[in-house]
Amino acid sequence: MNVFPPMQHERLFVPFLDEVDGTLCLPANATAADVHAQARAHRLRFPLLLDEAKTLREQIAATTHAPASCRFGPYCDNILGMNWRLPSGRIARIGERVVKTTTGYDWLRFLLHSGSRYGEPVDYVLRLRPDCGFTAIGRFDGDTKALRSCVSKLLHSGWMHWWDAVDYVTEGRASFVRVMIHCVPEQAPIFAQQLEHVAASTGTQLKLQNNVPPPLDGLPDLVIKTTPDRAIGLSLELAHAARRCVALCYSGVVHVYMNESDDLTERTQALVQPYTAELHTLGGDWHSRWLPATPPTITESAWLNTLEEAIHEH
Amino acid sequence: MTSPVKDSLEHQLKALLPRGRVLTSAAQLAGYGADGLGYKNHLPDAVVIPADAEELAGFMQGARALGVPVVMRGAGTSLSGGPVAAQGGVIVHTSALKKIREINTEGFWCEVECGVGLNDLDAALKPHGVFYPPDPSSGPVCTLGGNVASNAGGAHCFRYGVTSNYVLGVEAIMLDGSVHRFGGPAGGRGPWREDWKRFMIGSEGTLAAFTRFWLRLLPLPEKVWTFRATYPDMKTTEAAIHALVAHSSYPAAIEMLDPRGVAMVESSQMACGLPEGSFMLLVEIDGPEALVNARVESVAEILRHAGSQDVMFSDEDALRQKLWKARKASGGLLGQLSPSYVVQDAVIPKRALAEVLQLVYDEADAANIRAVNVFHAGDGNLHPNFLFDSRVPGELEKVEFISKRLMQRVIDVGGTLSGEHGIGNDKSAYMPLVFGPDSMRLQLAVPATFNPAHQMNPLKVFDNRHFIA
Ligand SMILES: Cc1cc2nc3c(=O)[nH]c(=O)nc-3n(C[C@H](O)[C@H](O)[C@H](O)COP(=O)(O)OP(=O)(O)OC[C@H]3O[C@@H](n4cnc5c(N)ncnc54)[C@H](O)[C@@H]3O)c2cc1C
Repeated sequence: MNVFPPMQHERLFVPFLDEVDGTLCLPANATAADVHAQARAHRLRFPLLLDEAKTLREQIAATTHAPASCRFGPYCDNILGMNWRLPSGRIARIGERVVKTTTGYDWLRFLLHSGSRYGEPVDYVLRLRPDCGFTAIGRFDGDTKALRSCVSKLLHSGWMHWWDAVDYVTEGRASFVRVMIHCVPEQAPIFAQQLEHVAASTGTQLKLQNNVPPPLDGLPDLVIKTTPDRAIGLSLELAHAARRCVALCYSGVVHVYMNESDDLTERTQALVQPYTAELHTLGGDWHSRWLPATPPTITESAWLNTLEEAIHEH
Repeated sequence: MTSPVKDSLEHQLKALLPRGRVLTSAAQLAGYGADGLGYKNHLPDAVVIPADAEELAGFMQGARALGVPVVMRGAGTSLSGGPVAAQGGVIVHTSALKKIREINTEGFWCEVECGVGLNDLDAALKPHGVFYPPDPSSGPVCTLGGNVASNAGGAHCFRYGVTSNYVLGVEAIMLDGSVHRFGGPAGGRGPWREDWKRFMIGSEGTLAAFTRFWLRLLPLPEKVWTFRATYPDMKTTEAAIHALVAHSSYPAAIEMLDPRGVAMVESSQMACGLPEGSFMLLVEIDGPEALVNARVESVAEILRHAGSQDVMFSDEDALRQKLWKARKASGGLLGQLSPSYVVQDAVIPKRALAEVLQLVYDEADAANIRAVNVFHAGDGNLHPNFLFDSRVPGELEKVEFISKRLMQRVIDVGGTLSGEHGIGNDKSAYMPLVFGPDSMRLQLAVPATFNPAHQMNPLKVFDNRHFIA
């Protein structure tokens, strides 16, 4: 019994802001400022921003995670739907505007970070979060052992859910741990007390900056996804050849920022090479705008042929 | 299926599963005809219970040659007609694949086999101070295989998210017997160019047999506060829900029981003194003790401010269980109240809650069908339960008529058909409401890629998925 006839048109998203659900549909070419301009008026925020000037599309093409993924998960858990331009130029609706769905196969998560291989995003539906009005950044300094223990303390307790970000930042030979908190102003002292407790118990020095904007690291040149327990070690190893490494500790992601040079493709390739076998075994991956996408395996090519036929059909 | 053919199938299956079990007698198969829905019965031709993952792989290798549909089944608690043999064939029951292979607290992941029970995993994780958040109420029996294949949700998904947010990797066996690992402990793509696990999660047994998963874990919250409040009408309940979802305490759960659900509980042995005609909200916040304690009063105040006169809350386990009692009892009571029930699973923008609930009442009353609503209000994930007797001619048709009107409205207000139960064969007829020509083509390309003959779980998700041997 097929009770409904096939639909003749796509139900495309039209830009909206739903302040009850905390959802916002806006063009993929919107910037952080565009998101803020709409969300702030409703005391909402999109925490996964990496760069002030770059478009959402560029940010999502650059990496799967942002520092605030520690608390809110990767982009794919915070983008609910898309209008997607297929190679034919036609636009298909992918995903939903509601916060959960098990209706059909998950093209949203498949396409979101696929670059421009299967078309391009036109609009995104973002899941926003309450803007509680107060953001602070804690910086822990100390030696590597103390900093590692500090991260362990931050992550291995019920507090872990409440840090917007726990990042291990390495610049040259110097490292520090960066924690972002976001809460209502009245609860800021409770967070501060916990950070002080962590500093005292790990022998690290804490500097807390209140009422500062969230850190915007910019788009990484290389992103490596590994397990959370490997992220700091990897970050320290990669740091010798980079300008800056930011390990997103709970997400197990390392954002690598390279020094400016004209052989970035080769240098990025050389940087990743020693880790590829381990990453394959762990089910991790890497991604860089300086590197071509991993070539498909033979099995994968066969699957892709069928999928691409559907994608390219007019 | 004729007897000689059945004998031959049994013979072939026994050859494929030397250590496992092959069931073919009518008495043995009877328990596999339906899922949690109960009223639609499709007897399989055989059931196999592989002894372990290796044997399941062996079975899959020979499955294509069997020439019959293959249907994966965990605990069979699906509420959408997922694990039933709608076109006959062999059901693969995963009950023996029960190993928790690794719990890695430093890396916040675990590795489990597909037949591990959800609550068994919870119990194993607890001593390590970590947990796996998705929590369908069927937890005491459902398996992780079923959870991943139907992208299960649960009461605490408002804050924690659903199964797909926690699956780092899937080991899948295709119908040619090839075994693939999509992702792994690190949760990335692995050696593949594309992130194939995304299609596997929520695929309802239509693409591959899953044997193992790598799942993301979180530290256990230190402290939980549970709140219960009742409201005289939907308007005030809705106001409370809207205020809670935007609140800085980020409630973990916001659950609702409507007056018909309240009446059902109050007229049973599980009565807990809820006012007649009231809407009940159940809210939970959790986190570190100092933080969560500081939030209790503000949550209580939201509940009162919206119009509740009887807000109760506690952090003591025994009292918390009492507050949960009506919500938890309602699932079991539904099954006792009527011979059959259909539960819809639509998700809607929360601004449309009152309107869509009213439609449920109006349609159900007009058709003289009992409707009870118990659902995940924070997510806008409705569960209207339509109670009926499938033996009475015309009753099922009435429920289908109401469901059709409901689903059309759900789509009109910007919602979707299913939030956590999946489509199965119960909701497949509504799929044309959701997908336009291009998105439908993309949808159908997924099974065409991995299971082009539709031998795996035919007639599910899209009802034109027929297996032709
Ligand atoms: C009382 C009750 C309460 C419920 N509450 C919730 C709830 O709160 N949230 C929720 O999301 N659901 C809920 N459900 C629905 C159901 O429990 C879930 O969908 C659950 O995930 C199913 O798990 P299962 O092991 O019973 O899977 P099954 O019912 O056996 O199978 C479900 C689907 O998964 C497929 N499958 C199973 N194992 C595999 C495998 N190894 N490989 C590939 N495919 C496989 C099947 O083919 C089928 O399509 C509830 C059900 C009941 C009866």
